[in-house]
Amino acid sequence: MNDTIDQTMSALSHSTRRAILERLMSGEERITDLAEPFEMSLNAISKHVQVLERAGLVRRRRVWREHRVSFNPAPLDEVSAWIEQRRRFWTERLDALDTLLRTEDGDDRKTKDA
Amino acid sequence: MIERTTVTIQVSRRFAASAERVFDAWLDPERARRFLFATATGEMVRTEIDPRVGGRFSIVERRDGEDVEHTGEYIEIDRPRRLVFSFGVPEYSDATTVVTIEITPLEDGCELILTDESVPADWVERNREGWSAILEGLAGAVQDAEG
Repeated sequence: MNDTIDQTMSALSHSTRRAILERLMSGEERITDLAEPFEMSLNAISKHVQVLERAGLVRRRRVWREHRVSFNPAPLDEVSAWIEQRRRFWTERLDALDTLLRTEDGDDRKTKDA
Repeated sequence: MIERTTVTIQVSRRFAASAERVFDAWLDPERARRFLFATATGEMVRTEIDPRVGGRFSIVERRDGEDVEHTGEYIEIDRPRRLVFSFGVPEYSDATTVVTIEITPLEDGCELILTDESVPADWVERNREGWSAILEGLAGAVQDAEG
C-alpha cells in the first residue's frame, strides 16, 4: 500500500469527511455553505476540508474573499487500481497452485502407469 | 471505541485436489517456492518456512538482480481448514496485510477462499459507521472491521 492510498483511506475514515465529499459530488460549494447542515463550527469543518485537501480528494479555489471547494475523484481511482492489482496478484497465485497440483497429478499417473 | 478500517480483498477457487493437499502446499517449502511468490522471470533464491503458530516464513526471489523478500508470521494453523498469516514485502512497502485461507472439503476436491486484509500501521482514529458507499462502490472490496 503506498502513501497516496494510505492518505486517501485515512481521510475517508471520518463520517463528517465522507459526508462532505458526498455533498461535493453534486458540485462546488462555498465552505460557509458546506458547514451549514453540520452541527459544527466553521473552524471544525475547515479542518476536515484541510484533511481532504491534503489527500487530494478536495480542491480549493478563492473567488474574491470566498473559499470554494470541489471534489476530485483521482485518489479514489488509485485506491480502486490498487485493489484490482491486489486481487490479480492472488488470482495468479491460485492459478499457479492449481497448475502445480495438476502437474503433480500428471506425474503420479505416469509413475503408476510405469 | 477504536475501530480499524481495512481494505479487504477476497478471491475464491475450486480445486480438484483434496483439502489436505491444497492446505499443505502453503506450508511445504518445495511446493511453496513453485507457486507462492514465484514470477515468470524471477529466480527463487530462498524458501524458509517455520510452519507453527508464531513461526515465520521468508521467501526470497531475485528479480532483475534485486532480492525481493516476502515475509510474515503464522497466526493460525488449523489443517486443513484454516490458515492465517501476516504478509509483507518490505522492499516495496512497510504495510502488512493479514491473509486468511479457508478451505472447505467438497466431494470432488475443495474450495478455497482467500481473504487479504490490509492494516496500515498508522490508522488509529476511526469512527463507528466505517466506510461510506463511496468506497464500497469502488470494487465491493472495502469494508469495516471492528477491532
